[in-house]
Amino acid sequence: MGVKIDLKKQYNETNLGRKKSVKKSFVLDVSFEMENELVVLFGPSGSGKTTLFKCISGITDLDEGKIIVGNKVYFDKEKKINLSIQKRNLGYVFQNYTLFPHMNVRKNIECGLKGWEKEAKEKRVLEMLSLLHIDELENRYPSQLSGGQKQRVALARALAPKPEILLLDEPFSALDLEIRTRLAEKIKDLQSKIGIPVLFITHNLEEAFQLADKILVLYEGKAQQFGTPEEILYHPENLHVAELVGISNIFDDAYVKECDEESKSIVLKSESLSLRVKTQRFKPGDKVSWGIHPENITLLLPDSNSENQNENTYSVRINNIINKGPKKRITLTLVRCGKILTADVPAQFVDSLKLHAGDICLAKLEMTKVVAFCELPLS
Amino acid sequence: MNQIIPKIKDMIIMLDKVWFPLSLTLWIATISSILVLFSGVVIAYIFARRDFRGRELVELLVTLPLILPPTVIGYLLVILVGRNGFLGNLIYNFFGTGVMFTWQAAVIAAYTVSLPLMVRAAQAAIEAVDRELEYAAYILGRSEIETALLITLPLAKRGILAGLVLSFARAVGEFGATLMLAGNIPGKTNTMSISIYSAFQAGNDELAQTLVIILIFISLLAISLTGRFIGKLEV
Repeated sequence: MGVKIDLKKQYNETNLGRKKSVKKSFVLDVSFEMENELVVLFGPSGSGKTTLFKCISGITDLDEGKIIVGNKVYFDKEKKINLSIQKRNLGYVFQNYTLFPHMNVRKNIECGLKGWEKEAKEKRVLEMLSLLHIDELENRYPSQLSGGQKQRVALARALAPKPEILLLDEPFSALDLEIRTRLAEKIKDLQSKIGIPVLFITHNLEEAFQLADKILVLYEGKAQQFGTPEEILYHPENLHVAELVGISNIFDDAYVKECDEESKSIVLKSESLSLRVKTQRFKPGDKVSWGIHPENITLLLPDSNSENQNENTYSVRINNIINKGPKKRITLTLVRCGKILTADVPAQFVDSLKLHAGDICLAKLEMTKVVAFCELPLS
Repeated sequence: MNQIIPKIKDMIIMLDKVWFPLSLTLWIATISSILVLFSGVVIAYIFARRDFRGRELVELLVTLPLILPPTVIGYLLVILVGRNGFLGNLIYNFFGTGVMFTWQAAVIAAYTVSLPLMVRAAQAAIEAVDRELEYAAYILGRSEIETALLITLPLAKRGILAGLVLSFARAVGEFGATLMLAGNIPGKTNTMSISIYSAFQAGNDELAQTLVIILIFISLLAISLTGRFIGKLEV
């Protein structure tokens, strides 16, 4: 059972009150297909993640496109299909859980079981309670629950009517780090248990990588890239994606010097720097940007490995070292061309090598970790 | 003994004079409040959740009785439901009798002046209900009406009850429009506030005072009830 989403929406956000309406308009333009898997929508706040959910669920009307979940067409502009919210049969967990405050946990879950036989309803509620390990919360009211418990109740309520797709809008944003990690495991587990497509919104990078089968990167309403976590991390398609996954050393002055079919890599020339990158996406002569995540720069002592013997290894001068707890952030200048890099290196490593500002050492930019992409977003 | 019997007699006469306006007023206020409750909540829901052309005009019309002088409201109502008025004509053709100078006319007057209190209180309460709760219910398959009954109105009940008590109190105290629409017919349309006026005019201070005290009592009760609701119904 697949999900096919292809939509466009000119979105004008206006305040509903009678105050002077503040208009902020942007275009939501997203298209992707997924199977029974967990797809993370990843992007900074204001990139249209929640708006996308509102379009899928039918809260917001669409201008153009198609939304198909399984064999059900939610929306099809051409065929003039636009299912009402009630008929879409999806599970939606809002960012603030939206539990009904005047109903206890059982009543909240039962709310979605309209028209079920009394016994079936009873059974389903118990099933949901035990699936999420919240049996003991049955008679509590939302105000008597902790954040993590509310989260699980909201999940139970969303799953009770057997939805065909589950939408989770930053479900962990209000929770402690520890509970977050545990619940994330739980969600992944749950997804494989219930076997329906799950869309999960987050702007937390670690969460995205922990959970995702695939990641859809959104930026200013537009889908930037759709792929596995590895693809997103090591083959970002443009600057937005690269920056969003934390790649901060980015240079836009390179071109492809040669392509090596055999090792599936290319050689980039960036000023006087030659750099080998593991990718097959480019042709010789292409203008590209390249970058590397600060954590993927390895520092070596300048002993036997001289710069010229090793590919992607360069002499650098240490400008300064900032202590960031378990990591140290080191600013480096490439001796050969004056480019500046930042590297996050384990504190223990820095201490044991007794590195100081002004020292010269070697920086290795692992070729599988260097990313290359076109300067402008592919349109 | 000779002194007590006339006193008891006086009291019975007084009770008789008080009883009718009191029961009539409570009856009118109750009927009016029931009508205000149902129509006011529907109107408030529509104002809070729907955007339609001319909404501001309709809102203005419903709220207007709050600030218009009661005589103006009375006059407008006479034009509307009087024998030659648009509604009055309909009523006459349908029932074969007019509505002017009946207790029903007093209900119409009380309804008109107390509706805006209900609408404003309920609208504010409904607007304060998180829309996402309603969307959550829609997504769970609940229709808009079910959602309003299951989620929105229960969560807005504090404001609705406050509006109801205020409307009731306003209906009990209604004077000007009632006088113009229902008149002051003893034993038929002489409500409390109208009776106070007549008693005062006739120099019957004792009756006026008794009625005044009862009215103050009812109003105090209403205010304390409102305070109770607002304090107690915190969810």
